[in-house]
Amino acid sequence: MGLKRRVAVTGMGVVSPLGNTPAELFCNAAGGRSGVHRLQASFSHRLMAPLVASAKFEGSDYFEPQRLRMLDRVSQFALVAARQAIADAAQDLKALDPSRIGIFVGTGMGGSHSNDDGYKTLYGDASDRIKPFTVLLGMYNAPAAWIGIEHGICGPNLTYSTACSSSAVAIGEAWQRIAFDDIDVAIAGGTEAPLAFGSLKAWEALHTLATIDANEPSASCKPFSKNRSGMVLAEGAAMLVLEAWEHAVSRGASIHGEILGYGLTTDAGHITRPSEQGQAAAMRAALRSAALAPGDIDAINAHGTGTQANDAVETAAIKAVFGAQAEHIPISATKAMHGHLLGAAGALECLLSLLAIQQATALPTMHLNTPDPECDLDYVANIARSGIAVRTMLSNSFAFGGTNAVLVLGRTDSAIKI
Amino acid sequence: MTNTLEKLREIVARDYKIAPALLTSESLLEELGVDSLGVAELLFNIEDEFNINVPPEPVTLVTLGDVVTYIDALVLAQSIEAPQQSNSLSASA
Repeated sequence: MGLKRRVAVTGMGVVSPLGNTPAELFCNAAGGRSGVHRLQASFSHRLMAPLVASAKFEGSDYFEPQRLRMLDRVSQFALVAARQAIADAAQDLKALDPSRIGIFVGTGMGGSHSNDDGYKTLYGDASDRIKPFTVLLGMYNAPAAWIGIEHGICGPNLTYSTACSSSAVAIGEAWQRIAFDDIDVAIAGGTEAPLAFGSLKAWEALHTLATIDANEPSASCKPFSKNRSGMVLAEGAAMLVLEAWEHAVSRGASIHGEILGYGLTTDAGHITRPSEQGQAAAMRAALRSAALAPGDIDAINAHGTGTQANDAVETAAIKAVFGAQAEHIPISATKAMHGHLLGAAGALECLLSLLAIQQATALPTMHLNTPDPECDLDYVANIARSGIAVRTMLSNSFAFGGTNAVLVLGRTDSAIKI
Repeated sequence: MTNTLEKLREIVARDYKIAPALLTSESLLEELGVDSLGVAELLFNIEDEFNINVPPEPVTLVTLGDVVTYIDALVLAQSIEAPQQSNSLSASA
């Protein structure tokens, strides 16, 4: 194993319930605005709590009809976010060796709209006329494949599916490939479009979704609050352009921030129940890979789903890693606002954390109004904190299946744009 | 044949955003942007339009005229099969 190269973030792109540009996303998140709302759909009455956080997004605004017919919503999101990120990086990919560029995409549920449509045709409509592109629309690697096709990228093209940590894993794996000189540039992130009827019912059956806050539905997801009742499913994509540091500097790129490290562990215990030991081990592994001590971390973006189990266990895991220092670290659970993007959550929160570092801001954990003795750290309750020195952050992503991924993010002197 | 071509031109013009005037029986499907996947989609769409069942066996279609010939053959074959099927159904009933 050779010396690690530094990895810069030079491009960002996003489609999300809080906006379809990084600037809009950050502005809404810093303002504590929620993208959670009641779902208005023909099947809403068949859901116990018809709540979602959806993106304002019409595929026909971005794609010609011939192409659109080949793209599930999950691929549409990915392509639009990747276009933004590549444009933001101002990097002419065609001027590079295409085999030295990689694509790393996380998704937990793939083309669930297309699969849902297919099942409806077969079982609901009792028809055998499945659309000819159903396999191509539904396959999990379609988003990554389409990004490669659109931009002529010929290096590794990988899709990671580790449920809610998928895109943190994708970014971490891309970071490793660049750090160890396999490639120079990566498009890395996640995408998810799970708001099809079948997916919503499947999640509902797990009893992990939030009940509706009768007074304010948009406040239904309440991470770390005693009265938290679960998560809200959301859709969107977040993509980053990662680049070998010297590569970025030599071309005069504007650098958003740095990926400093990545930790990955597996619980090997329960299929859903989170493990304090597993989460703590991932945070420690991330710190080791960044050659940082717990005392070097200034803030954390928590996994913070708003389920009873996760938030208490994550609090305990943070205490286990940071000891007495834990109570002084601002911890943000932004899912209260943008919902849970499942396989895209890690990338979206990584992107938000990089922006928070740039803007010297700790984003708020909204709807935290009932203290929980088991969750007794500083969660930046309800109001963003600006003007704070943030050099480094952890971004936590913990998944069903037990895959825990933690990214370590750092500030750069040249990170000035938003 | 002429009716089939006219109907097919309408479908291709609609789905592929091509001016109908550019669509002749000699038009090459690849040049119209209808690749092998596009042919699969086209055959799916014409099932409803022509009230036929496209068999699962692969078929090589190069020009729009090839598609017309293929459709006409299926329409003819299945119009002959259909009465037989209804006879056998009534016989079994």
